[in-house]
Amino acid sequence: MRLGLDVGGTHTDAVIIDTSGIVCSVKVPTDHGNLLSSVMSALNSVLDAAPTPVSAVHLSTTLTTNALLEGKTEPVGVLVSSGPGIHPLHHRIGDAFFVVDGAMDHRGAEVLPLDAAQLGHAANACKERGIRSFAVVGKFSPRNTMHEKLMAAALAGQADFVTSGHMLGGRLNFPRRITTAYFNAAVWRTYNSFADAVEEGLRKLGIQPDLAILKADGGTMPLAASRSLPVQSILSGPAASIMGITALCDVQGDAVLLDIGGTSTDIAVVAGGTPLLAPGGIGFNGRQTLVRAMVSSSLAVGGDSVLRASAGGVSVGPDRCGPCMALGGSVPTLMDACNYCGLSHVGSLEASRSGMEALARLSHRDVADVAREAVSRAVAAIKSAVDALVVAVNEKPVYTVREMLHPERIAPKKIYAVGGPAHALSDALSSAFGPNVVVPRQHAVANAIGAAIARPTCGLELYADTERGVKLIPHLSLSAKVDRSYALEHAKEDARRGLLSLVAAESPTDIELVEASSFNMIQGGRLAGKTIRVQCQIRPGIEESYLPAFRRES
Amino acid sequence: MRAGNRLGVIVFPAFDWAISPTHPERQERLLYTQDQLREEGIFDIPGITEYKPEIASVEDVARVHFCIPDVASVTTESHLISAGGAVRAARLIMEGQADKAFALVRPPGHHAMKVVHGNRGFCNVNIEAVMIEWIREHYGQKRIAIVDTDCHHGDGTQDIYWHDPNTLFISLHQDGRTLYPGSGHLEELGGPNAFAKTINIPLPPMTGDEGFLHVIDNIVIPILNDFRPDLVINSAGQDNHYSDPITNMLFTARGYALLNEKLSPDIAVLEGGYSIQGALPYVNCGIVLAMAGLDYSFLREPDHDAQRLRQDPRVTRQIRLMTDAVLENYFRPKRKDFPDPGTFISRRKRIFYDTDMIADEQVESVMRCSECAGVLIIESDSSINPPALCIEIPLGACARCREAGLQRHEQQLARGRHRILQLINRPDKIYENRSV
Repeated sequence: MRLGLDVGGTHTDAVIIDTSGIVCSVKVPTDHGNLLSSVMSALNSVLDAAPTPVSAVHLSTTLTTNALLEGKTEPVGVLVSSGPGIHPLHHRIGDAFFVVDGAMDHRGAEVLPLDAAQLGHAANACKERGIRSFAVVGKFSPRNTMHEKLMAAALAGQADFVTSGHMLGGRLNFPRRITTAYFNAAVWRTYNSFADAVEEGLRKLGIQPDLAILKADGGTMPLAASRSLPVQSILSGPAASIMGITALCDVQGDAVLLDIGGTSTDIAVVAGGTPLLAPGGIGFNGRQTLVRAMVSSSLAVGGDSVLRASAGGVSVGPDRCGPCMALGGSVPTLMDACNYCGLSHVGSLEASRSGMEALARLSHRDVADVAREAVSRAVAAIKSAVDALVVAVNEKPVYTVREMLHPERIAPKKIYAVGGPAHALSDALSSAFGPNVVVPRQHAVANAIGAAIARPTCGLELYADTERGVKLIPHLSLSAKVDRSYALEHAKEDARRGLLSLVAAESPTDIELVEASSFNMIQGGRLAGKTIRVQCQIRPGIEESYLPAFRRES
Repeated sequence: MRAGNRLGVIVFPAFDWAISPTHPERQERLLYTQDQLREEGIFDIPGITEYKPEIASVEDVARVHFCIPDVASVTTESHLISAGGAVRAARLIMEGQADKAFALVRPPGHHAMKVVHGNRGFCNVNIEAVMIEWIREHYGQKRIAIVDTDCHHGDGTQDIYWHDPNTLFISLHQDGRTLYPGSGHLEELGGPNAFAKTINIPLPPMTGDEGFLHVIDNIVIPILNDFRPDLVINSAGQDNHYSDPITNMLFTARGYALLNEKLSPDIAVLEGGYSIQGALPYVNCGIVLAMAGLDYSFLREPDHDAQRLRQDPRVTRQIRLMTDAVLENYFRPKRKDFPDPGTFISRRKRIFYDTDMIADEQVESVMRCSECAGVLIIESDSSINPPALCIEIPLGACARCREAGLQRHEQQLARGRHRILQLINRPDKIYENRSV
């Protein structure tokens, strides 16, 4: 039996499932001031109702997301070493940002040694300010981790925790590495005390299940591993929702998933039955990160989007001003228009009617016209956002002639829509998208189910340079010698084994090779060596054994 | 950081295509550039967007070149994608999706001439010309300036636009007496219908930042101000770099960035540049930053040594002397005695294809015309193809030139020694290729 828990804006849901379906579930109010108490109270209640002990607990929490959004983080000493390029001060983050001279080039050759005096100065400045958590990041550190290791070593005596850039993986993106390392260090203490408390709480209940957290890519990560990478737990909520839909509906082939909420509509893309992962990483609070996430986009259209009418037409959103009038709000919203058109029966139909009438009077238009136009405008906006996302996926740059001539394209056959207003909009969605719109029956704890059935995911990059005689798996802090016979096949096998070591829990059947390339490096007309790059990942998915039960349920 | 100009970048490194495994035009060429751009997080900067190339059509090529025996025989898919990358860059600008665009693509194109029998100077089709004629086909006759900053003379582009008064071609390059392809001398100024619309700026070996920027400030910008183009295109070869293995210049990454800032091209298209580890990552990064209007003050090569890269005073003197001559060439050209409009003028050309070892002897005749670029007739006798006769009725051709072109085409169908007959009829959008 597995337990899934999802901390939502209003409720924290927990569910226990086994291969025959839902065993029991609970909903408790979310106390944003004390997430731990919400989590523990949901865990307590649902475990109380469970007949036998659970073997695994998957948590999707907003702890780190909220801490970062609300600035409830600890100060972080950020030390970067940067080779030539964009000035590193353009990447400044936090109040203790230090640039230490030193540079690696794109092949990991040391161009400029790390400046020990500057390093010492930065360390002292942080010590004086009582900073105990650090991020150390070097440009091209996935090609040579030495400078980051030197910086971490210099801080060893004074740091409680150091995030080294290369621990975040082998993808090249210095600014994202800085941001992600900073976020990671900023929430490290908060996250670990939360993790301690959850473990302690469960121990008191007499159980010691495998604990894992949900990530923004829709997969899980063992709690123990997440303690040094807490940034991996940001923005897991939308991922839980997406995994909930894939669990509850028989999502196959290419499809689009819509989660239509009060303020916004989130869109995700499924290819071959599995949510598609974004090549970069998730954007958070105006900054780009290296945290793996699903391909998604969000538009500011939801049930509570404010309607405005003029002679020229009706606009929907982008703002929200409290709930719809049917539920006591003060301005008419999309949901009120749905009520007026008879598409939904939420709250007071009378309140919706008077709101829509007032809106129509202002613009000297017919009420029914205004209401219908609001619904079709909302759906048109969703349609164009979906189309844009699919185009963006299909227009992703490729770098070989082969991929140009034989592009892999997705062609969504079905649209799945969930969330409050989804049912009310289903006819309008069908006329926009065609007959393949599915609005599954609402499930009270869909997100918690999504968390429960998720399986481990991870990604890993390997880089080898046979002229320099090195191979690196930055994520594992692995750096080893190779000889000139090291080839792409060896690299693929090393990467595969590295990936398996990260997801020891269950052996995954489908490792996806995102990139596997080997280039001859020619110098002076002769073969100097090979540069080899392998990137592999495990895409999100559902534990097979749980699937049939949920599809029966829906 | 936010880009001052919305910049579209088309990156197509053709990782699965090479002329031969150890040729400078090989899979590895743009690998380290891509590494650098990625590590800098260039495409996360608001305002800079990466786009996929398109694939140029056979017609896109046939509208520019006489490909002998046909387009398919002298191009690979990689050439069509590279040209398509340039077309995508143009589309971004013309459709208003970007303020500036950089086609970071390979293989290059500026040695490909009007008639194409194969590969010369690593080039098969002229990707800038394919792009420019795509623009004109869809957006009308534009005044376009091409500034070729590749270290090698852009002899292909020069050949294609030799007669076009609406295209200003300026080439900065290492003096042809010291480098392939050997042309690009001061006195090469364009045909009778476009005289002084071809401007060559041969630079002495060991020209550094100072010399290049002097030429931009004192020659290129004044000429551009006079010509007043609708679009400025930079044929952005990167082999003037001090570390380039096949040239002899001292230009730097920051110099390239500064050049781009001053020139402010609407579109840059990558040409040559074969110092793939020591130069390209930094030069390309510098061009991207400069085109986007961003700070590049921290950009320099790891082995940059200001002392060693200082330009010799003798070189400086030589460049200053040459500057006056070039300005004379453009502003006060000594016009030759061209015959009256309506008569043909011919020249003989011998063209050697270094990569494919082809020799071509051409007689090129253009009708002297004061109203259009003039109908063009090329007879090509190459070492690998049967004799070919090529007729171009240019875009915006006057009635007389159009008539003369069509007449010659019909005559040729009736009789003649040429076994291949090609027609580019731009006004009527007819591109014919016949074996006779």
